[in-house]
Amino acid sequence: MRFIKSILPYLGAVVIAFVVAGIFIALMGYDPLEAYATIFGTSFKTPYAFVQTILKWIPLTLLALAFTIPYATGKFNIGGEGQMIAGAIGAAAVGILLSDMPIYILLPLEIVAGILAGALWGLVPAYLLYQFRINEILTTVLFNFIAFNLIDYVATGPWRDPTAGHPTTVAVGEGGFLPNLLSTQPINAGFLITIAVAIGIYIYTNRTVGGFELIATGANPKASHVHGINTRFLSVFSLVLGAALAGLAGAIEVAGTHHRLIEGLQSNFMQLGLIIGLIAGGNSLAVPFIAFFIAVLEVGARAMQRTMQIPVEMVFIVEALLLIFILLSNVVRRRK
Amino acid sequence: MSGIEDTLTNFLKLTFLSMVPFVLAGQGTMLGGRTGVYNVAQEGMMLVGASVGFLASYLTENLFLGMLIAMVTGALFGLLLAYFTTTLKLDQFVVGLALFFAGLGISTLLPKKVIGITLSPPLIPTLQDIPIPLLSKIPVIGEIFFNQNILVYVSVLLSIALWYFLFKTNIGLQLRSVGENPKAADSLGVNVVRMRYITTILGGVFIGLAGAYLPMVYTGTFTDGMVKGRGWLAIAITFFGSFSPIPILFGSIFFAGIEVTAYKVQIGGTGIPYQFLLMLPYVMTIIIMIFTYGKARVPAFLGQNYDREKRTL
Amino acid sequence: MVKQHVLEMKGINKQFASIVALKEVNFELYPGEICGLLGGNGAGKTTLMNILYGLYRQDTGKIFLEGKPVSIQSPKDSLSLGIGMVHQHFLQISNYSVIENIILGANVKHPYSSNLTPEKQQIDALCKRFSLDINPDAIISSLPVGTRQKVEILKALFRGIKILILDEPTTSLTPQEVDSLFKSLEVMVKEGLSIVFITHKLREVLSVCDRISVLRDGRNVISLDRKSAAEEELVKAMVGENLDVSKSIIFSKGKYQTVDPKYEKAPIFKVNDLSYTNADKVQVLKKLSFDLYENEVLGVAGVAGNGQHELVETLMHVQQLSNGKIYFLGEDITRVPTEAIWKKGLVYIPEDRLDDGFLPKSNVAQNLILGFHKSPSYSSKGFINWKSVYSKTREMIKEYNIKTSGPNEVGSNLSGGNIQRVMIARIFSQHTRMLIIHNPTRGLDIPSTDFVYRKILEKKKEGISTLLVTEDLDELILICDRIVIIYKGELVGVLDRNEFEKYRIGRLMSGFKDTSLAKKRGTI
Repeated sequence: MRFIKSILPYLGAVVIAFVVAGIFIALMGYDPLEAYATIFGTSFKTPYAFVQTILKWIPLTLLALAFTIPYATGKFNIGGEGQMIAGAIGAAAVGILLSDMPIYILLPLEIVAGILAGALWGLVPAYLLYQFRINEILTTVLFNFIAFNLIDYVATGPWRDPTAGHPTTVAVGEGGFLPNLLSTQPINAGFLITIAVAIGIYIYTNRTVGGFELIATGANPKASHVHGINTRFLSVFSLVLGAALAGLAGAIEVAGTHHRLIEGLQSNFMQLGLIIGLIAGGNSLAVPFIAFFIAVLEVGARAMQRTMQIPVEMVFIVEALLLIFILLSNVVRRRK
Repeated sequence: MSGIEDTLTNFLKLTFLSMVPFVLAGQGTMLGGRTGVYNVAQEGMMLVGASVGFLASYLTENLFLGMLIAMVTGALFGLLLAYFTTTLKLDQFVVGLALFFAGLGISTLLPKKVIGITLSPPLIPTLQDIPIPLLSKIPVIGEIFFNQNILVYVSVLLSIALWYFLFKTNIGLQLRSVGENPKAADSLGVNVVRMRYITTILGGVFIGLAGAYLPMVYTGTFTDGMVKGRGWLAIAITFFGSFSPIPILFGSIFFAGIEVTAYKVQIGGTGIPYQFLLMLPYVMTIIIMIFTYGKARVPAFLGQNYDREKRTL
Repeated sequence: MVKQHVLEMKGINKQFASIVALKEVNFELYPGEICGLLGGNGAGKTTLMNILYGLYRQDTGKIFLEGKPVSIQSPKDSLSLGIGMVHQHFLQISNYSVIENIILGANVKHPYSSNLTPEKQQIDALCKRFSLDINPDAIISSLPVGTRQKVEILKALFRGIKILILDEPTTSLTPQEVDSLFKSLEVMVKEGLSIVFITHKLREVLSVCDRISVLRDGRNVISLDRKSAAEEELVKAMVGENLDVSKSIIFSKGKYQTVDPKYEKAPIFKVNDLSYTNADKVQVLKKLSFDLYENEVLGVAGVAGNGQHELVETLMHVQQLSNGKIYFLGEDITRVPTEAIWKKGLVYIPEDRLDDGFLPKSNVAQNLILGFHKSPSYSSKGFINWKSVYSKTREMIKEYNIKTSGPNEVGSNLSGGNIQRVMIARIFSQHTRMLIIHNPTRGLDIPSTDFVYRKILEKKKEGISTLLVTEDLDELILICDRIVIIYKGELVGVLDRNEFEKYRIGRLMSGFKDTSLAKKRGTI
């Protein structure tokens, strides 16, 4: 009963956000009811749509965690895009260069390379934070732009697939494909990996000493420092860990979803991941569930553009509104 | 000899042309920051400014109306930022990020709705240069400094005006006190809330204008992501500039110079893949941050909300 | 003939969320008097005056100035009505000059230039009139505390106020500076001002106030003339039933049961030539040396800002010292990191509760284990045993009388006194060997203050010594065995208990070295 009472403001915010967005949609000249039916319903109409939802859920969850883990220590990781790209490049590099290796060597190497590349991409801003106290918002964002140029080079350079119309590399070796879980649907093992990661992160933040120190660092860095917690290391570590997860997302996209490096694979996962993380209020248990909800919206948005000609960006506005109203609901809860 | 002279003149002229978005966005960030409001939504605000500025110019066939509407849009975003942070007291970074997303979404949505999806997007005319009589005739210098479009002049004059107002007047002293110690200012009757609203909204006006400049001077149209990180870079410039108008002006000129250099080298053709040249501005920013970071002075209460009735435990 | 009051506050009620801060409070001020507003911390004195000054708004109640009702919505209103306030924590911008701080919010003659000459003349005239000596162009950060307080007073005088509120003005002053302040107040009263003097110190109201009004738990208790006020009566009014005065430490006048420090044994804590230079290249601590013995409470006296904060932080290795050595139980701990220091049983209660000691967004249980979260009582093999943490928290809530709804309550909901109780429970419930405590009773109400003293003395009996760094002289004199005095980062004196005398300590706090103390246990 108390649980329901505590999530009531959130539910209220969600409802209001959809109502406001519905008005916005109507003002643009579309039918909001039909729009919402498409947005919410598409994922569950066909097996294909459901698979797409799951495939979106994977990077959304990982990118959201890539934001929430540093956020727990009070740091803002806005570099998820670049870190995901770095991870994708790392995985693709291994997958292409060692394409003849068997699966039990190539696949793990690919995934690990992706994780390490992502971690590295976050390590530099983290180090700059540690050593020079440079604001991580700026450095992580700047690294995004560096990554955009880097992936453009990789996807149009020596590994380019000449038959593709859009900058893409050749496929990674077959040993680098993440196996599918079902023979009938292309849900790859990245799904299991992500579930394991989400559970692991939850246990880490909520049950371990290290996780306690992480939360304390974000709650009050000075007080934590005074009481013996190595806050400087933890804020840097949290950034690197978050970046590693974003890199993992990139690796899974390469190894599982596309089997190659496609320019633009980072999509808008980071922005959505940030929104998911902020809506979850940094609660790592809530992240996978909210990510699923957003994945449903995203799949529905594409269907909506196909069938109703409503631009996909409309859903982004809905998601931004969701965030804004949930933030407002925090104000309401505070007033109580 | 004149070949080098021409190249240099051209380079510098282009640099001053390119500094405008940085200056405007930087001063907009600085103004709010001086009262303690740390805006991180610039990238989104500039995108909206570019989108709205382009569409309005196209529909009204008037660049200045386009600028005006972009400024109003920027003011609106500034108002939202002020309301969520100063009145509702939500975390400034989170609100900034939310507004960034909103700007991102709106800026891509609007052109699709208004113009639809076409292969050849409509173009708006470019902002013309306005030569200053007599001064523009001076060799080299005349071309660089006195034959530019109106927003270049506005940027410089604005920077000087802001510097004078903030640091050479008693009213400016009072405004700055809000960012240095809002409780002290409040306890003496300074209207902290009103100051924050005014500076944030005005800052939004400048940032919106900074965005509108891009389609009017560079491409003649709006493309997704055309701000290319200039909003984030403006935050960095404001930081190195210690939230002071003149250092921000010079920092902007420096960054514009790097941007132009990368572009010129890319055109000139060297063995380096062009993507790495395009990375140059961002990498330079990081390097400069490393060298100047300890020395930047920021308003003491930057990023912190003020609650008069907050009980100090 | 009934005297007409210049200020009357009637039926003031104020509630913050669920906490009732003021209930039906009345307050009167007569022209030309110094009225003491007396009560323990948390009694509502500052809240009442913040309402008068416009920083808070009353829920119900009326305010009358010279008989006419007034509405005060903000400090701008109160200032224009002639009411000024000197706050406990000075509201100054450190890198602005004196005059720049004074003119904030005022209508200057030349707003669009930086010309402040007319204002400077005004300030010079005020300084002469009220016997204050200030250089208007001095930068605030360069000024000592006593002078900075004069700037706060000038801020109010500059605006032509007729009523001046002073909130705990003597907190950071030496006894000599307190006397000087009282003289200034008398000059102000002669010049026609009326003064409200907020304090929790009994002796002060008895020496300078004409009338005394006592608040307790947000309610009026009594108001009387100083002439008819007896100390006992005032104590009872301040404390009520919340404390058994006869059994208390605070009002024991130093006569309580305790043990003697073991000076014959080796000291358990030794500091040799401790020096510290901060990031701005200022040498804040200069070759400090002192010892702490078993069963001892050693006090560090000094005016705020003479290096106390840096001292405790370097001892706990929160800051890295530049030179010197620290020994704890015979072991050299100079290079030992903070985490290990806590593990060795050398623990710390910081002065800045919210900033340095508490996690407002975390719950009570999480706050309770901060610093001890790795100890076997709370965790094992890297996992926290939340079940035992929660049950231990419930025990602590009972034993330390923490007013909270339970281990799950969010820390920021607790009042200041209860946060301090959490921090004390955190430290005192664990096995420790020595305590470093900084300003433990600041902002605490009288029963909580007494509780802290009681706990410190209990630990002392158990052999757990305390280094008590505090700016409260009465506190030092009450419970310390020895006192060292710090001035501008140097130790300028050591006093035994039988040498404790307020003005002597005050002189040392002001930097006058007492050469007769050259040969003492614990070097200078």
